Amino acid sequence: MALKGLDIFKLSPKKNCKECGSPTCMAFCMKVAQGAVALDKCPYFSPDAIAKLSEATAPPMKTITVGDDIKLGGETVLFRHEKTLVSRNRFAVPVCTGMEDAEVDQKLADMQKVDYERIGEREYVEFVLVHCSKDSAGKWEDLVKKAMATGRTLILDCECTECAKKALDLCKDAKPILNGANAENFAEMSAIATEAGVVLGVKGESLAELHDTVSKLEAAGNKNLILDVTGKTAKETLANAVLVRRTALKDGDRTFGYPSIVNLSKIAKGDIHLQTALAAMFTLKYGSIIVMEQMSYAEALPLYGLRQNIYTDPQKPMKVAPGIYPMNGATPDDPCLMTVDFALTYFLVSGEIERSNVPVNLLITDASGMSVLTAWAAGKFSSSTVKKFFDEFDIAGKINNRTLVIPGKVAVMKGEIQDKLPEWNVVVGTREAVEIVKYLKDGEHIKAAAAVAASKKPAEEKKPVVDENAPIDFSKLVIPEIAHKDMGVTYKQRNVQSKKFITIGERIHCISPVIREAMATFNPDPILERAAQQIKAGATYLDVNIGPAESNGPELMTWAVKLLQENFNNVPLALDTANKKAIEAGIRVYNRTNGKPIVNSADAGSRISNIDLAAANDAIVIALCSADGIAKDNEERMHHCHTMLDRGMALGMDAGDLWFDPLFLVVKGMQDKQMDVLNAIKMFADEGLNSTGGLSNNSNGAPKALRPIMDSALVAMAMMQGLTSAIVNPNDLRLMETIKSCDIFKNNELYSDSYLEI
Amino acid sequence: MAFEPKTQAFTSSIATVTLGTGDKACKLGGVNVLPFYSFDAPIENAPKIGVEITDAGIAAYPQKGLQEFYAGCTTPAEMAKRVETMHGASFICLHLEGADPNGENKSVEECVEIAKSVAEATDLPLVIMGCKNIEKDAELFTKISEALQGKNILVLSAREENYKTVGASAALAYGQKVGAESAVDINLAKQLNVLMTQLGVAPSSIVMNAGSAAAGYGYEYVASTLDRIRAAALAQSDDQLQMPIMTPVSTETWNVKEAIMSEADMPEWGSAEERGIEMEITTASACLAGGSDAVIMRHPAAIKAIADMIEALV
Repeated sequence: MALKGLDIFKLSPKKNCKECGSPTCMAFCMKVAQGAVALDKCPYFSPDAIAKLSEATAPPMKTITVGDDIKLGGETVLFRHEKTLVSRNRFAVPVCTGMEDAEVDQKLADMQKVDYERIGEREYVEFVLVHCSKDSAGKWEDLVKKAMATGRTLILDCECTECAKKALDLCKDAKPILNGANAENFAEMSAIATEAGVVLGVKGESLAELHDTVSKLEAAGNKNLILDVTGKTAKETLANAVLVRRTALKDGDRTFGYPSIVNLSKIAKGDIHLQTALAAMFTLKYGSIIVMEQMSYAEALPLYGLRQNIYTDPQKPMKVAPGIYPMNGATPDDPCLMTVDFALTYFLVSGEIERSNVPVNLLITDASGMSVLTAWAAGKFSSSTVKKFFDEFDIAGKINNRTLVIPGKVAVMKGEIQDKLPEWNVVVGTREAVEIVKYLKDGEHIKAAAAVAASKKPAEEKKPVVDENAPIDFSKLVIPEIAHKDMGVTYKQRNVQSKKFITIGERIHCISPVIREAMATFNPDPILERAAQQIKAGATYLDVNIGPAESNGPELMTWAVKLLQENFNNVPLALDTANKKAIEAGIRVYNRTNGKPIVNSADAGSRISNIDLAAANDAIVIALCSADGIAKDNEERMHHCHTMLDRGMALGMDAGDLWFDPLFLVVKGMQDKQMDVLNAIKMFADEGLNSTGGLSNNSNGAPKALRPIMDSALVAMAMMQGLTSAIVNPNDLRLMETIKSCDIFKNNELYSDSYLEI
Repeated sequence: MAFEPKTQAFTSSIATVTLGTGDKACKLGGVNVLPFYSFDAPIENAPKIGVEITDAGIAAYPQKGLQEFYAGCTTPAEMAKRVETMHGASFICLHLEGADPNGENKSVEECVEIAKSVAEATDLPLVIMGCKNIEKDAELFTKISEALQGKNILVLSAREENYKTVGASAALAYGQKVGAESAVDINLAKQLNVLMTQLGVAPSSIVMNAGSAAAGYGYEYVASTLDRIRAAALAQSDDQLQMPIMTPVSTETWNVKEAIMSEADMPEWGSAEERGIEMEITTASACLAGGSDAVIMRHPAAIKAIADMIEALV
């Protein structure tokens, strides 16, 4: 039975000495719980605690380190969707004492030609397998030396103890693998490997024999092993690889909890195409080191691509490095197309550009691996991030052309980018990648850029440089006059102490085109209309999302807060934007009669300073339990929760003013994580903390008719777990009725026959 | 005590779908274990390989190996006949690319004639792959299904937008098999099967195309979709996901940079054809590892490698 991080933490020394390499004892304990680190990395656990924990915390599969810090094994699941796979498989090319010298030289030289980078990962053949045949006739040590000269990690494939010793004398410092133990020689081989401090590879005629040999090695104290599961045929080898892994991870038999070697040069000798097919198979099916007779670019490009795909964490988007990517032979004189660093976006866009054959420079900006619209909504793709990117990478210095095409989906940023990059001609490109070929071939980008250039005033007045960190001069804010209209609805005075479930209406959001337009033109009508609808439907708070609002955040937020509060009896508001100055300005004019303002939102990563902002302004803050992407489990969620709680309380906040958001996940896609989210809410409640979240995210993409049903069921389950608030669409009648009913059952509201109407 | 591995055969199994007629008819699915896990239980039907030919004939295939294999063939029918000699070919996939209204826009009648000529030329089962235009495909599938009644062909594929037309005509009216296509979306994959069965199409007439991608091009989504479909079908006994899976591989792999960038542009990468072959092999093998019961491929060398692997593992 695996222990939870918090259970281990209770027994930990709580010194935060960092000697284990983790920043805190809490972080260390959570890594131990996940099997990522061994308990003995910490020298301060009491012997009692160690005895209690060691059996329970041993990971089902060991992580073995060889060569220059190459990690193998350490897997906890059989399929990547169950959590993630951690140690990507590696490749080896074999040489043998039976080969002619020239052949050996050729093989080693060819193998080293493949060495390139793919999405931040070096792709090369990590290992050379050096095989010692029985009649090695004095060639063995020379062969080892030649292989060593490549700088790659060696697998000494050698079952003769004398040869093993000779080879290790030469190369043990480079941490090779001694792949030589079998049922007969294991005791001696183990002694040699241990003496040299290297990993021992174990072979067996059958799985039963392999299991037996490993048990004996473990009993003798050697747990620094790797299993060569290569059988007599491909079929037997696949069976071995699967059964070894499945026995360890599913059946909990740790004797087989080691990484594997699969030698395709034995089971598909001389047939490189068949070896490629099998290498792909064993990439998915549990080969840790795959030995292939040859690794040219033809094999490497697809196999390393596949490996990189399979070993990405399903919850962490694959990112491309930001920078300039010249395509189709582009030079600095060609135009620039810009997009985000989400790998799939990059591949789609670059693929289409390649198809167009038009030379352009593709600019990839850092957007935390999010897609275009998601990044924009999260403030990770804005005119400021673009400007920062242009400065950091000196784009203007490296590119002479001044045409910049931005994705059609963020056309709204055009003006702001143009302001920040005045010498560029900013053009709005296509909404979808598939339209790029036609767009570029027709030269639309060039025509549009020419039009932008022509429309620029010759001697445009330079806008004064704004220091973004300077305090706002409130006297200088120009706020449009506040319209006062009778919308036929008033906000009912609220008891701020009430235990009733708090709904935060989400309908005033700039991702809606109507609202975006209204905010761009300070048009009060659509905003008042949506506010009235939500208040009528029973919303407790209204969320006001003004988007990144980089150019006029303080004005816009001040206007919106006054507009809503003056028209609706000081309705309480959640101020929702990445622009801190805007939140500050909004709070300055905020009336607290019906509740403190909410800062939406902080997280445990780059947005943690929004907690400081809330603390400084006596506001509530929505605290997203995530840092870089979605937390992978509840240990991590709670870790983020505690980090933010610590920070808020250190700044004098009331714990109840941090509303923790576990981040509701979409059923279509993350169905298996729904109970995790609900359990996180229970953990918050058990610690007496408040919680909230964008509940309707669960039903994203589901048919309209289903969404209220799903949302209602989830809110009932979540309220049972202790959820205290949610960001919802109040116009969803079924959802609002469910919430009111749950408040009755929770005894937050006294029952009457008309409870739905009040 | 000697180690005895635990076996894991499931009580549920994948439905068996038969394509074609006579001696060359081929059976897809039927397994009750994860792909190639013959140590858990015998593999009922080994995975099959379909060979893609297009209405454009060999002009669409500039690679030397393909030109040599199809040397002398002037029509799709002659290519189909030649496929019979290919090691590992179980069925033919006629890809009617030229029907695309945004491309060559071949008429439905012309396409029906091509399909008929191919069906007459060979006894191998026939799969018709459309041109990805929803309206045109629906029309193509209907007319070809009608013209080839009794041949037990498969149309690839019905999608969310046209499943009613395609299901009602191809499967219900003309007794053919229908592919249900979803782009790496397990929820939609299930939903389409539900909709098709509600329409009256028998589960034994449905094959899933759950989406595809070349290795390195977001293949992780394909891998996890396939893994999850098989887990639901076998471990959770979800009979709405127990249809066999057919995955087009060649149409994905021969368009990526690794397969098309010329050797002149990338001298260190070596032969473009060889790169394309290895890309096709890698992707096909990965699909089979995830649970595809059939893959559609193009290059004889790649097909041989996958056929050899299937033979070695089953």
